[in-house]
Amino acid sequence: MKSLIAGLVRNRKALVGMIILLIIVLIALAAPLLTEYNPAARVGRPHQPPSADHWLGTTRIGQDVFARLIYGARTSLAVGFGAGLLITVLGTALGIIAGYRGGKTDEVISFFTNMVLVVPNLPLLLVLASFIGQASPLVIAVILGFTSWAWGARVTRAETLSVKQKDFVKSAEMMGEPRWRIMTFEIFPNLISIVGINFIGSVIFAIITEATLEFLGLGDPKTVSWGMMLYNAQKASALSVGAWWDILTPCFALALLGIGLSLLNFAVDEIANPRLRTGNSMSRWSALIRSGEGRL
Amino acid sequence: MAFLLRRLGFYLAAFIAAATINFFLPRLMPGDPIQIMFSSTGTELSAENLESLKLTFGFVDGPLWQQYLTYLKSIFTGDLGRSIKYFPLPVTEVLGHALIWTVALMGTATLISFTLGTFLGILAAWRRGSVFDVVVSVGAIFATSVPAVVTSLIVLFFFGFTLNWFPTGYSADPALDPSFSLTYIASVLYHGILPMLTLCTVLTGGFAVTMRNNMINLLGEDYIVMARAKGLSDSRVMIWYAARNALLPTVSSLAIAIGTVLGGSLVTEVVFNYPGLGNILYQAILARDYPVIQGQLLIMTIAMLVANFIVDISYVLLDPRLRRT
Repeated sequence: MKSLIAGLVRNRKALVGMIILLIIVLIALAAPLLTEYNPAARVGRPHQPPSADHWLGTTRIGQDVFARLIYGARTSLAVGFGAGLLITVLGTALGIIAGYRGGKTDEVISFFTNMVLVVPNLPLLLVLASFIGQASPLVIAVILGFTSWAWGARVTRAETLSVKQKDFVKSAEMMGEPRWRIMTFEIFPNLISIVGINFIGSVIFAIITEATLEFLGLGDPKTVSWGMMLYNAQKASALSVGAWWDILTPCFALALLGIGLSLLNFAVDEIANPRLRTGNSMSRWSALIRSGEGRL
Repeated sequence: MAFLLRRLGFYLAAFIAAATINFFLPRLMPGDPIQIMFSSTGTELSAENLESLKLTFGFVDGPLWQQYLTYLKSIFTGDLGRSIKYFPLPVTEVLGHALIWTVALMGTATLISFTLGTFLGILAAWRRGSVFDVVVSVGAIFATSVPAVVTSLIVLFFFGFTLNWFPTGYSADPALDPSFSLTYIASVLYHGILPMLTLCTVLTGGFAVTMRNNMINLLGEDYIVMARAKGLSDSRVMIWYAARNALLPTVSSLAIAIGTVLGGSLVTEVVFNYPGLGNILYQAILARDYPVIQGQLLIMTIAMLVANFIVDISYVLLDPRLRRT
């Protein structure tokens, strides 16, 4: 764990990724200090281009785009990390249990995992969100958490199968340690890199999917988030009336956060697996992309 | 053979499960789905008409298991009911029309991205550590970590609105009648360029990275060293020794990508107002057009399952070890 953190500081990709993430987190936390405007209130004339008063202009109904951007970062980060945590906890727990217990338990869990993996994810999410109607960020995070754990479970299971064969697990079994203890204290710490990659990948997936669902109009209109900014800008035909600041601001914010997190993910993979640093550094990372974002 | 049969059994089970979810989703939601369905069309219906419409849409009264059996039967006979939004068109006709556009757009984009990505991956791996490799690798990270919505909107903004080079929506000039005339085909191609560009940007990176990594793994193998030692030319070793073998695992990701083609690229189709399956699903969701939603989910699931099965078969054909177990 300590070496992982030390490695992250030394790795250039990790550094850039972390700086990007840190800046976004700080801006989100300090939002009330950075702007005097209420992100939901009408504070100016409609569709004003960027100026000294409104750094990134105003929206169609006269909200301050900069205020919406920095308050919206809170929503994106909260949904991303909340859903990411849920996805990772579910996937890791199911993966370790299936891999370690084997037998019938494994068969049942693996069957469900494989089944969830072949059912198209995004359309199902869309349908669920539309049935619930005006899904709040919290609801979106929960839906994402419960529908997107399968990839993590499959990968964790595969890793568990190999860790299970190691001597220290065998000796713990000989000494009669209870199963839950072996799974939590012997196996889990050895999976930390795969869990980390799963976590960051899930955060990226959750942020992108939340923004996509909201852009498609399935979110709660009262939410201040980057996805709702995209939705409102698109609804106000911001592009055809030339209000580029309205729509490009959330676009660049989402792109920046996505790139920052991807760099971090890439770096964790490299550091946790020294072998990968020279060659096969992106294999699992690309698998992660295919599992989630590819379907968008 | 036993392996394939086991997989076939799994896909059948997965299909039944997906169809069941598909059946229960609208019925689990609060309120009477049929009531919501017809109130959203905004037309006044007499009780008598409502009943006959319910019948047309396949909403049989009776116990749940009976409805379920009717539903399963309708799946296997290919009768998916009628659309609400495009009443009285049958769902199969609505989806069939969109299918052509989606296959043309997504199918072409997938093939272009696969070819381009594979080619870039081969070159990047061959010149590993060079500027070219860095550009391809970093470019792939960027292109794949930016959400498709963002890529679509940025492409639309720059090429559609700012530069005014390309049309900003539809699959062809609406003033033209669909035909095999030269003007119509030219219009279709012209309208297809921006969505195609977006999709290729989103898809190419993944293929490039996969191919690059497969290649790098193989370049350390003895037979590559041997081929070089024999004095074969670089391009011959690269293409016929390394790339040929590195391509095998990529074929499975191509098959999966083709499996997702029928989902359409929902976001891109919505942004560019392209009349494909993704857009139809989106419109159906907004209009609560349950028969179309169910039909489209079914098509996508079947396509995914078939693609996965093809991957399994190709593994059996390519990897003799699987044939014995």
